[in-house]
Amino acid sequence: MKIEISKDWCLRMAQREGDAEIGAGRLAIDPVFDGERIPADVAEEESPNVAFGRFVNLMRRQRGMSLEQLADDADVDMADLVEAESDPYHRPELRTAYQLANYFKVPQAGLMQVAGLAALKDARLFDEGVRFAARSESTAELTPEEGAALEAFVAVLSEQK
Amino acid sequence: MTVEVTEVHLMDVASGESVAAELWHVITEEQLADWEGEWVPELFRAMQRLRRAGVERAHWPQSRHWDWRRKVAALQGMLANPGFSIVCDGATQGMMIVDTVKHRGRLDGQQGQHLVYVEFVENAPWNRAELFDPPRYRGVGSILIRAAVALSEELEFHGRIGLHSLPQANGFYANTCGMTDLGADPDHEGLRYFEMTPEDAQAFIAKGRSK
Amino acid sequence: MAAKRTMTLNLTEAEMAVLEALSEKRELSKTALLRQALRMYQVIEARLESGNKLFFENEATKEKVEVMML
Repeated sequence: MKIEISKDWCLRMAQREGDAEIGAGRLAIDPVFDGERIPADVAEEESPNVAFGRFVNLMRRQRGMSLEQLADDADVDMADLVEAESDPYHRPELRTAYQLANYFKVPQAGLMQVAGLAALKDARLFDEGVRFAARSESTAELTPEEGAALEAFVAVLSEQK
Repeated sequence: MTVEVTEVHLMDVASGESVAAELWHVITEEQLADWEGEWVPELFRAMQRLRRAGVERAHWPQSRHWDWRRKVAALQGMLANPGFSIVCDGATQGMMIVDTVKHRGRLDGQQGQHLVYVEFVENAPWNRAELFDPPRYRGVGSILIRAAVALSEELEFHGRIGLHSLPQANGFYANTCGMTDLGADPDHEGLRYFEMTPEDAQAFIAKGRSK
Repeated sequence: MAAKRTMTLNLTEAEMAVLEALSEKRELSKTALLRQALRMYQVIEARLESGNKLFFENEATKEKVEVMML
């Protein structure tokens, strides 16, 4: 496609454009997962999932944050976050897991599996998740043991691509 | 892969001077790496500033969750969905994906005619005055819309384009681009639909030629 | 756009008549119309392959009619 755009044209239009916002696109509110569905076999499974909630809980407390702060900082729905931490039968929103993975800087694919939102590709992740949940106990302060358990789990999670 | 490139210029806001830039007729891995490595962290920091400043979430940029890697991957190899990007100072300054098949003209006199539909267009976070004061470069939007018009002409759609604008960008499409506002579209999250006729396209190009 | 390659297309009279009528209606040259048709064909193929069905919806009645893909 041949197209010529003169320097003068660019500058005149830049002036007219000024500080205007230019964003356009449908599905703009939350299009990250448009068209993507949780696989049926994963979604229908009703097994409890302690590891994800415990993981989020410890990562949050390690940072000395309240649920509200984390919801705000990671830009996730607070109700979903509260349920994810407290209800092992709750399946978080895809977006919540995605945002938290970005926020905690752990691989999305791994955390999606831990959250039960993607088919488990690595069985070790399940075992490690259970072990992690067993080692860590929910109390106000993060004990050195909890800290160590969290670190070990993040290491396994980080191996996931 | 040879990347088709058009020389363009952006305005450096700090100096008021023009800087040489490139319009790439494609979105490459380089752009996606810039998006991940530069845009997303900047956007995240900007979001934290908005939060601290007590700005309501409703006023945060609606494009903050866009995942360009996913968009590009989904449209890989589709003839109907070319991408464009602007590169300046070694970094991606703006990106756009269009669709040349799935949308037709809606305006009176244009109904049913083919047009280039702008699926997504976004400016780099540091070029956005609502996030950065002062922003770095101006002119990204005009050049990308000009590219959409050029593609529309190339495909013999006579410069017709259409898009759903994000609420804060309505002014740009109505005023700077001279597109017709067809109102809120209930099928597209209530975003306003804008269309440019062949005559509007000529007027848009002429705008940058006259003082 | 990258370098173009040329091909010759043989059409029956009926096909040519349709091509001419459509290109006039849509203000496209015959070449532009056929290239648009190719882009459209690719979109439809991709959608069908991913398990979607092709429908036409009546704007007034919202009635959907499936396009048969044999």
